[in-house]
Amino acid sequence: MIEALVSIFQIDVLIPWILAMVLGIFVGGVPGLTATMAVALIVPLTYHMQPIAGLAMIIGVSFTSIFAGDIPATFLRVPGTPASGTAVLDGYILTHKGKGGLAIALDLFCSAIGGILGILILIFISPLLANFALKFTHYEYFWLGVLGLSMSTVISKGSNTKGFFSMGIGVLLSTVGIDLVTGYPRFTFHNSELMGGISFIPVMIGLFGISEVLNQIITTNNIDISLKNADISDKTKFSLREVFKEIKTHFLLIVKSSVIGNLIGALPGAGADVAAWVSYGAAKKTSKHPEEFGNGSIEGVVAPTSANNAAIGGSWIPALVFGIPGDTITSIVLGAMLMYGLKPGPLIFEQEMGLVNQIFAVGLVSQIFLIIIGFAGIKAYSYILKFEKNIINTSIIIFSIIGAFALRNNTFDIGIVIIFGLIGYFCEKGKIPLAPMILGLILGPMVEENLRIGLVKTEGAFLPFLSRPISLVLFLIIVLMFGLAPIKKLIKKMFTTNKEKK
Amino acid sequence: MKKLLLLLTVLFVSSFFAFAQGETEAEDFPTKPIQVICPWSAGGGTDRTARFVADELSKILGQPVNVVNKTGGNGSVGHQAGADAKPDGYTITNVTFDICALKHLGYSDLTPAEYIPLLQFNEDAASVTVSADSKYNTLSELFDDIKSKPASSFTFSGSAIGSAWDLSRLALFDAAGVDPAKVLYVPSKGAAPAITELLGDHVDVITCSYPEVAPQVEGGSLKTLAVLSDERNPQFDNIPTAKESGIDCSYGTWRGFAVPLETPDYVVEILTDALEQVINSQTFIDFMNANGFGIKIRVGQEYGDFMISQYEGLGPMIEKAGYNN
Repeated sequence: MIEALVSIFQIDVLIPWILAMVLGIFVGGVPGLTATMAVALIVPLTYHMQPIAGLAMIIGVSFTSIFAGDIPATFLRVPGTPASGTAVLDGYILTHKGKGGLAIALDLFCSAIGGILGILILIFISPLLANFALKFTHYEYFWLGVLGLSMSTVISKGSNTKGFFSMGIGVLLSTVGIDLVTGYPRFTFHNSELMGGISFIPVMIGLFGISEVLNQIITTNNIDISLKNADISDKTKFSLREVFKEIKTHFLLIVKSSVIGNLIGALPGAGADVAAWVSYGAAKKTSKHPEEFGNGSIEGVVAPTSANNAAIGGSWIPALVFGIPGDTITSIVLGAMLMYGLKPGPLIFEQEMGLVNQIFAVGLVSQIFLIIIGFAGIKAYSYILKFEKNIINTSIIIFSIIGAFALRNNTFDIGIVIIFGLIGYFCEKGKIPLAPMILGLILGPMVEENLRIGLVKTEGAFLPFLSRPISLVLFLIIVLMFGLAPIKKLIKKMFTTNKEKK
Repeated sequence: MKKLLLLLTVLFVSSFFAFAQGETEAEDFPTKPIQVICPWSAGGGTDRTARFVADELSKILGQPVNVVNKTGGNGSVGHQAGADAKPDGYTITNVTFDICALKHLGYSDLTPAEYIPLLQFNEDAASVTVSADSKYNTLSELFDDIKSKPASSFTFSGSAIGSAWDLSRLALFDAAGVDPAKVLYVPSKGAAPAITELLGDHVDVITCSYPEVAPQVEGGSLKTLAVLSDERNPQFDNIPTAKESGIDCSYGTWRGFAVPLETPDYVVEILTDALEQVINSQTFIDFMNANGFGIKIRVGQEYGDFMISQYEGLGPMIEKAGYNN
């Protein structure tokens, strides 16, 4: 391990590695550009490097971009990556309360801590976890999806009915496109654009980003501007002492969220975005102050950001142990390894232990670089925030549109951003929460496809969804999550009424 | 009158210039960057080959060649964009096997006839893979049991409904004379999730290309029974063909390049020549070998005929499976 650490500190590894991490800040910071795209573009450049230099670039860019996605989410309410959808819920509120700097600094440190924990789990128990992940099939993924969807009532502020309604819209939207189970094109009206389905990234950019810009443009005419240029720079300031104090207070939550994130990341059927949502819901469910969530809760910032970076380490678990991708990035990695002349898969631990150790070392050291480069990124963003509000708003729109287009090089997605910007604006006017809609769009296919494919396997029998150990546990968690509170209430009520009778 | 004469002269001269300009354009193609449309997402196999060929192509043509991923709809979005592009040779489509199935599946009206074929450079035969501790060691043993055991005793997987590996399965069953409905088919988003399912013992058999399962086969967790090609592949000649098990079936996926109809002949010629230079180079062969992609070359008309015959063959197969939407 020491040998591996020393070997990665050479100029022809360090330079591409750090450059890739800086690129990650940019990719994560621009909505629509994803870590997967960055990795796909980087890989052809690495064919002539030594394998560890190429892998360091990929690992570095994944960590910085997942963190950097939180920056525009926190400051501007535009999630930079799918995994930062949760950062708008509390981070942006904190920015409005003048604590944006604290929120983003917490994001940075918790991302690094989550990253370290994720890598440590990868180092020490990856074979165990990988075997556990293999036990997951459609039945288990179905319940995991249901668990995630049920979070929509947990995460939404205010009316549960409206949260549920919003989630339903998301689920319905996710059914557009070619159905995986039958191959039938649904709701496509013979339009080849709709055939590809409604991609959730442009929807997310529209719902959160564009709708907020609209909201600001419309309200600033009436009310005086709350965010004056002078105090914006203050809003990105923070004291390190405060950051460390919060980390200390919430350390257990950070560890818990990282473990959840890592486990979900290790499942080939779920990634960093699902990890962030589930850990957010779990944090709220177990919090002593659930009412603060959505109103600028520190816990609501800390939990998802730890989880999504821990998920990166998780996604490498099946990739290294079995040679099967844990997410889209690791699937590109497996292809790149072939180009480096490596054989990914079960034999890698025997034949390339030196390289595996180097990967671990890169993963850990990347977290230190992440903090340094991340600070630079935050600083750069703070400068942007010093511009006039109208310039910022215009650039949000421009970047949102470019980002949405870049995703699939499709002008159709620009339309999606604009339409959902309007939908988002009117939903907020009607106090319909937006987060459940995104959740429905992300998890709808997970629930639907796994249920239907599971039923294909069992020829219609529902029993395996309950009789398998892991699926039963997941089912019980869902039952307890929603059943426990009413049951407790009922017992309490019975108890008190009995007393009264006496 | 003088004015009219002047006007006519101007018109004549300018039209001459316009014509002359057209002429020079005709002589040197390309004069601006070329775009390669890849109907599949960045980082996948098709994207990787497209980017490699694009790099090599730009060295030969002296113009940047950029890969643009237009994904969605089982490849229909990208293939459509490529067919609808301006027929000037500046937009090339990285056509894949799926173009032959799109119309039959009801995803698009596109057929291979809507392109001018340049060349095909790749072919990956499907292979049939089971778990290493499965009791089957040959394809014929497996099919004997599929025939004799009750329906739905076996679960297959490999790709989405109507995609390459599912269609390969249909072709295999067709050749073996067994109704494909006798086994359950678990659709998956691609080979990788199907391999995961097989490793976890959640399905019994998968169909996909051999290089995709090679790491697990060599690592001892999976076992490939046969490859669906006419001859054994020299790169992995320990894997028998289906023919050797008495099932005459060769099927798989392929990749190639095409341009929209009405692209001028001289442009087609320049592009084909340049592409031929690329795919005959040692660097290309090394790249394909390192990635485990098979090389199969069909140029021009031969490639076009191949696509049309495959397109026609898929019609009855897809109808029989009930996939025609």
